[in-house]
Amino acid sequence: ETWDMPMAYSASNFHSATGAEFAECVTTGTGGEVEIKTHPSGSLFKGADIKRAVQTGQAPIGERLLSGHQNENALFGFDSIPFLATSFDDSDKLWRAAKPSIEKLLAEQNLTLLYAVPWPPQGLYFKNEVTSVAEMKGIKFRSYNNATSRLAELTGMLPVTIEAAEISQAFATGVAEAMISSGSTGYDRKVWESLGYFYEVDAWLPRNYVFVNTEIWNGTSEASRNVIMGCAKLAEYAGNWRAKEYTGFTLQGLRDGGMNVGPASEQMTAELKEIGDTMTNEWLEAAGDEGKAIVDAFRAE
Amino acid sequence: MTVLRGLRSGLDFLYLAAGVLAALCLIAILGLIVVQMLARWTGEVFPGAPDYAGYAMAAASFLAFANALNRGSHIRVSILLNAVPEGFRRVLEIWCFGIGTAVMWYFTYYAYRFVYWSWKFNDVSQGQDRTPLWIPQSVMLFGGAVLAVALTDHLIHVIFRGDHRITRDLDDQSHAE
Amino acid sequence: MENISVIILFLFVLFTLLGSGVWVGLALMGVAWVGMELFTTRPVGDVMLTTIWSASSSWTLTALPMFIWMGEILYRTRLSEDMFKGLAPWMAPLPGGLVHTNIVGCTVFAAVSGSSAATLTTVGKMSIPELRKRNYPETMVIGTLTGAATLGLMIPPSLTLIVYGVTINESITKLFFAGILPGLVLAAMFMGYVAVYSKVGKDWNPTPEAKLSFAQKVKNSRFLAPVIALIIVVIGSMYLGIATATEAAAFGVIGSLLLALGQGSLNWKTFTDSLMGATRTSAMIALILAGAAFLSLSMGFTGLPRGLADLIAGWELTRLELLMVLLVFYIVLGCFLDGISSVVLTMAVVEPMIRQAGIDLIWFGIFIVVVVEMAQITPPIGFNLFVMQGMTHHEMSYIARAAIPMFLIMVLMVFVLIAFPELATYLPNNLRPGPA
Ligand code: NA
Ligand code: NA
Repeated sequence: ETWDMPMAYSASNFHSATGAEFAECVTTGTGGEVEIKTHPSGSLFKGADIKRAVQTGQAPIGERLLSGHQNENALFGFDSIPFLATSFDDSDKLWRAAKPSIEKLLAEQNLTLLYAVPWPPQGLYFKNEVTSVAEMKGIKFRSYNNATSRLAELTGMLPVTIEAAEISQAFATGVAEAMISSGSTGYDRKVWESLGYFYEVDAWLPRNYVFVNTEIWNGTSEASRNVIMGCAKLAEYAGNWRAKEYTGFTLQGLRDGGMNVGPASEQMTAELKEIGDTMTNEWLEAAGDEGKAIVDAFRAE
Repeated sequence: MTVLRGLRSGLDFLYLAAGVLAALCLIAILGLIVVQMLARWTGEVFPGAPDYAGYAMAAASFLAFANALNRGSHIRVSILLNAVPEGFRRVLEIWCFGIGTAVMWYFTYYAYRFVYWSWKFNDVSQGQDRTPLWIPQSVMLFGGAVLAVALTDHLIHVIFRGDHRITRDLDDQSHAE
Repeated sequence: MENISVIILFLFVLFTLLGSGVWVGLALMGVAWVGMELFTTRPVGDVMLTTIWSASSSWTLTALPMFIWMGEILYRTRLSEDMFKGLAPWMAPLPGGLVHTNIVGCTVFAAVSGSSAATLTTVGKMSIPELRKRNYPETMVIGTLTGAATLGLMIPPSLTLIVYGVTINESITKLFFAGILPGLVLAAMFMGYVAVYSKVGKDWNPTPEAKLSFAQKVKNSRFLAPVIALIIVVIGSMYLGIATATEAAAFGVIGSLLLALGQGSLNWKTFTDSLMGATRTSAMIALILAGAAFLSLSMGFTGLPRGLADLIAGWELTRLELLMVLLVFYIVLGCFLDGISSVVLTMAVVEPMIRQAGIDLIWFGIFIVVVVEMAQITPPIGFNLFVMQGMTHHEMSYIARAAIPMFLIMVLMVFVLIAFPELATYLPNNLRPGPA
């Protein structure tokens, strides 16, 4: 049986590379009983359509940035709370704490989780040097969802909505002067042409999730399911490794482009942490008891 | 006969009304673009403007499909249709309208399911507009259904009257190229 | 060889539906449906809706109705007379005389209109009767106008480039700027041909023009001011990065409404006519795009595009050979299909090939536009031929023959583009980037 696997990011992205290896592992491991064909770059379904497509069996398996669905349920945004888990290790802990809830939530939607791989940590890009939150006041800040708009509000910056495809142009023309994103975004968009500073605040590490339609999953032989789960473990491990490698690579790229890359000042870090607490509390209100359980479990570790 | 005449004018009103709504959607798109620009220049935010413009785009297209069909705006390859004798042309037109009718009723049925599931799943937009998607999608369903009705209307006409009711305006059609 | 049978099946169903006269958008949906039913076990109807909704509710697509609307408004103004009055005094002394008003008029109007047929009707409305009055050879009048009007597709704004950009997910602003230099070069080549013909053509015997002083010429140029102002607003706002393509289109709509208002040609009837015309035309394209989105998804499930790309990669064609194959392919396709349909129909298969061959997709957009321009003037299906026939009541074969030199110049243009790719890539790579 062939499983077409829609993926949202370009074939050269490390998530897509991980997915392609996973597909090959499954195809070989099951002796062709399940053959996975990846379709990167949103060539089958666009990113926003992938979850629903898998949910309804239009595609058996797919990959999606799950925090994209936080309008639907705040729980999906657990990995995108600013300054809650600010390192690969913390992000791992947070994921372990949240996994049961997310699996349960996905199960209700006819989805079975296979593996999750983080993006490089999110840092702050600025045109000029910034050493405290007070200095951010009035700076035009790229927002792309409600959380980033709220972050702008709390830091006194002016949110401007800019789609991913328009980032480099927006900075070049001064439509925006700051953003929060991973090092890879800035590297891909060559933002050093207009921005000078990247602060490694590691605000959060969003994840891509690979999930399969539960009915199709249950209809697959146990032997195949075991192989697929094994391949998923390998993919998760390899993906994590790649994410770390890629973080270093892109930050070096930003440096080579002429940007100042480094940690934020102590004062700024402390102030951002406070804003993070505010936003964590707001998220907890939206996500209810289940959300509280996740954060408590994470903090207890 | 009065029933038929009433049906006739009712249908014609439906196609026209949907077309006028579509035109209003174009004006809405213009308004949204302008407001978004103004917001950007004045440092304000208008969250979700691109999403709303996208919904208006879909609405403008689907609501206008039937009107565009009736005015001959939709492109088709008419070499064969023009080359064959009258009697065969009628058969060919029945085939074309038959295919079109089948495709659009199929579309309409699945559009109904699509909207139903969006509502059932509580599917909300992933953009900053947070719109429940069944609302804009219902407009697509409605527009698709109107086109299906229009195609059926023409099909019945070709079968019983020998010709469809499309008034072709070449000038109108060619403005897309 | 599984691929071969898939291709044959797709082509067979496609040609049957398209050839018998089923509307292009609906035919594409039909083909996609057959492909999915046969080659996948996925729920076809649900897939169809997901794709069509996603393709139809796209924000980038909104540039399309806006530019169409702008063209519809201008079509109903006095722009055509004004342009002729403003251009004629400058063109008269050139070798080739007023025939150049056809070409320069089309070039100027192309910069505010996204459509080739609208360019043709607007410019031709005035220039055909005036040129005939002055006894210019009819084949030149008809041929140059039919050919030069296709610049409407290359010089921005361009509906073809919007459709191409939306299909391959590339920046429309970049594509627009890629079209400027090749458009001007092509116009210059048309003008060169006219100049040469005026020296060697046996039937060249136009009535000489009265000489105008430089001051009078400048005075007459005031008629060009509105359209030039509009060009500056639309293209300038994109070039300076003040506006995205969509926003520039909104400027264009408002600008042309003001222009029509200033001329006194704006009333309730022209307003509603232009609006309803734009609504229908954009719906027509939207239906094709919806069908094409479903078809390309269906082909994605069969793995056909990737298979074909790999197959052709296996032949190890040089880039030039690949482009030559595509050139012939699109010319043949263009004889039977309109430009927008042939772009969206083929992109699912051609895009991976082009990427694999390492060809710049912005450059390829301009390549596609030139071949689509040719399709406008090749029989039996060529929109400019139809429109010209409607305007002049000449036989279509006469018009097509008159346009053959223009067709050959466009073929030459393809080679110019291949030899000097910077023509298309320089401006987009060096433009002051805007908000999109
Ligand atoms: Na144009
Ligand atoms: Na043609």
